[in-house]
Amino acid sequence: MKLERLVRLDRRIIYLLIAVGTLLPILWRIGFPVSPTPPVQALFARLETLGPGDIVLASFDYGPTTAPEITPMARAVLRHCFERRIRVVAIALFPLGGVTMGGEVLGEMAAEYPALRDGEDYVYLGYKDGTQAAMKLMGASFASVFPFSNAGVPVEEIPLMQQVRNYADIDLVVSFSTNVIGEWWANLVNAQFGVPVAVGTTAVWAPKHFAFLDSGQILGLLGGLKGASEYEHLLVAAYPRLEPLYERAGVYTAMKGMDAQTVDHAIIMLFILIGNAAHFWMRRRESARRPG
Amino acid sequence: MFWKLRLPLILTFLVGCVPVVTFFLAERVPGVSIVPTTVERYMVIIAGFALLLGVVNVVQGSVRRIAQRRPGWPFAISLLAGLLVMGSFGVLSALRVGPFQGLLAGPRGEVTPFLWMTRHFFDPLQAAIFSLLAFYIASAAFRAFRVRNLEAALLIIAAFLVMLGRTPLGEYIFRWAPGGERWLPGLTDWFMAVPNTAAQRGVIIGAALGAASLSLRVILGIERSYLGAKER
Amino acid sequence: MRATVFLFAGAAFLAGARALGQGDRPGTGQSPAGAGAPLALFLLFSFLVIFFIVRSRRGHELFIRRIPGIQAMEEAVGRATELGKKVLYLPGGGKLEDNQTIASLAVLRHVASLSARHATDLAVLNKDPLTFAAARETVQEAYLQAGRPDLYHDEVVTYVTYDQFAFTGAVAGYMVREKPAANFFIGDYQAEALLLAETGQATGAIQIAGTAEVTQLPFFAVVCDYTLMGEELYAAGAYLSREPAMLGSIKGQDFTKAALILYLIAGIVLEVLGVHWLRDFMSIQ
Repeated sequence: MKLERLVRLDRRIIYLLIAVGTLLPILWRIGFPVSPTPPVQALFARLETLGPGDIVLASFDYGPTTAPEITPMARAVLRHCFERRIRVVAIALFPLGGVTMGGEVLGEMAAEYPALRDGEDYVYLGYKDGTQAAMKLMGASFASVFPFSNAGVPVEEIPLMQQVRNYADIDLVVSFSTNVIGEWWANLVNAQFGVPVAVGTTAVWAPKHFAFLDSGQILGLLGGLKGASEYEHLLVAAYPRLEPLYERAGVYTAMKGMDAQTVDHAIIMLFILIGNAAHFWMRRRESARRPG
Repeated sequence: MFWKLRLPLILTFLVGCVPVVTFFLAERVPGVSIVPTTVERYMVIIAGFALLLGVVNVVQGSVRRIAQRRPGWPFAISLLAGLLVMGSFGVLSALRVGPFQGLLAGPRGEVTPFLWMTRHFFDPLQAAIFSLLAFYIASAAFRAFRVRNLEAALLIIAAFLVMLGRTPLGEYIFRWAPGGERWLPGLTDWFMAVPNTAAQRGVIIGAALGAASLSLRVILGIERSYLGAKER
Repeated sequence: MRATVFLFAGAAFLAGARALGQGDRPGTGQSPAGAGAPLALFLLFSFLVIFFIVRSRRGHELFIRRIPGIQAMEEAVGRATELGKKVLYLPGGGKLEDNQTIASLAVLRHVASLSARHATDLAVLNKDPLTFAAARETVQEAYLQAGRPDLYHDEVVTYVTYDQFAFTGAVAGYMVREKPAANFFIGDYQAEALLLAETGQATGAIQIAGTAEVTQLPFFAVVCDYTLMGEELYAAGAYLSREPAMLGSIKGQDFTKAALILYLIAGIVLEVLGVHWLRDFMSIQ
């Protein structure tokens, strides 16, 4: 009787344990270590080769629903850029909240570097609809797609944008994306214009991007919260002065989020093992009872 | 018959040929790539009008539900209230009437009413529904991941590998061995880069060909389900 | 004989497309890239599809393998009829111009026709407004052709909302309140896939899913009773109609896939031998 109950365990027990497993590590940090993987190291290494004369195009292609996974990686990459004085042109191509995400994250990161100037060291061009069409048109001219910055300044009056005509003037594109937009950067922009592309995306979409990583169409991939935590780890290891920013109480980071994810994974695996053990035991008992 | 069937089919053929032709002519004929972009913009405008149709349907259904006191009718009141409040906030913000100065934050970072509603109602509600995934994946895994046959066993082994390798647990398990902390994550990376990629590519190629076949059927007027008509 | 003709035609296409497709990309200063491979593939694919459509219209029988998910649709509607409960159909979250949505509408016609014939209540909940309009036409037409226009009313096909998770919450609530006996999730799904499928599973419904979204297929495959994967979804409309032209297009796409497999094998062999022509031809950078 107990085995049947175990095999058909009330799902609310599972939900309760998952809730506890998510909440407790957030309240009391465990601090699991993080080891970077090659796809993340590849992006980090590429940014380490860039400096004050270089320009990165950061595309905010996600909305509030995936912000817990993607915002930490966006922050880490922008911090990396600003630490190395790499200039950043930021855009948003995701219609449902992309422009808000871009504005908020860029604003927060820029505020940590008061010596950097808007329009010279970074600029936010805002949102453009028609994702693929916008990507293709930027190959000819950025100004034709973004005639004004998000603040309403004509691009010809922005010092940074006077040096950016098209993709030929961009050293790296980093797309923070949910769903298929990251793929489009790989198989439209990299394939047709040759500009290096890296993608930071959710854990659900990351497996699909491995094909592009393998073929060289993207040079680096940050997959989900794990990818974000690995990048944060690399950043703090290379720039120790940033460590207090990631250790601040009350601030959400990917490394902190990984504690909860690790505990939840452990709970799920435990339940799978329990379910299978009970299932096997029941089958053995039934075959033992069967006559002959 | 002409207006309901033939004209839409003719338009479908002409408009359907546009992206195909412009893809191959974009380099040789400057400016031709503006055509699909313009068509996409028309679609956004048409979708805006269709959204109105959907909103009317929602309002009609909700009013009917309230009038007839069907089960769950109080929820229809909250739906209409939300629609009215958020909709009016959006329209007033777009028109910049009174305190409703835009949809996003102001030039000095001040929060507009629409943005306040988005941050305090819309975003938390979205996050709440999305977060149910964590619970559902656990219950789905518990119920479905049973070793009933060889394929199910392989599925579970792969799931365990990835779940362990994608978290610090995978590093802890073999930490005692020299270089052991990279064994499981390394195996996971190989798994994602090789078998997973191969399988994904196969499905993507098949799906892409299926989509191309369907597109060709639509362009040639063989597939007419989108018109509500029977296919030829 | 036929295989030889195809091989020669294929080689001719490759050579011709390679010659036509070379060219610089103006204005970018990027390295030259050609449209040879896409053009060749497009021509080959179109030729094969049209060839088999013509062939099937001339009366040649075309074999399409059994697809369990499609076979189970009648069983699902029948189950709902026996239990006196509804059939719930969701055409996905994609726009009307998405291929998955068009494929879903073809399946919707079949499900609506079954529902009309069995006099079973059908509910079609929509996320996209244009899809809602098209779904309404499709269902009305299906009921009319089944001879039961009297069973159709405005609340069979309804619009919910455009927002992904608001739609998911509304549909989940609908499933828990109405407890439909059969759920169809056919179309483009994103993160809502597991939320909807698991909620439906909790209500005890038989569930048939179909999507080409690779990231959501695992969730549907694990939770639903039947899943149409990728091209099976696109083939569903043709499979259900048994129209010669539709079946011919499936055959054409299958032969294109066969040609691609041969190309891959040839490419691997040539790469091992140090000949890079095929690989370079397929490279579009």
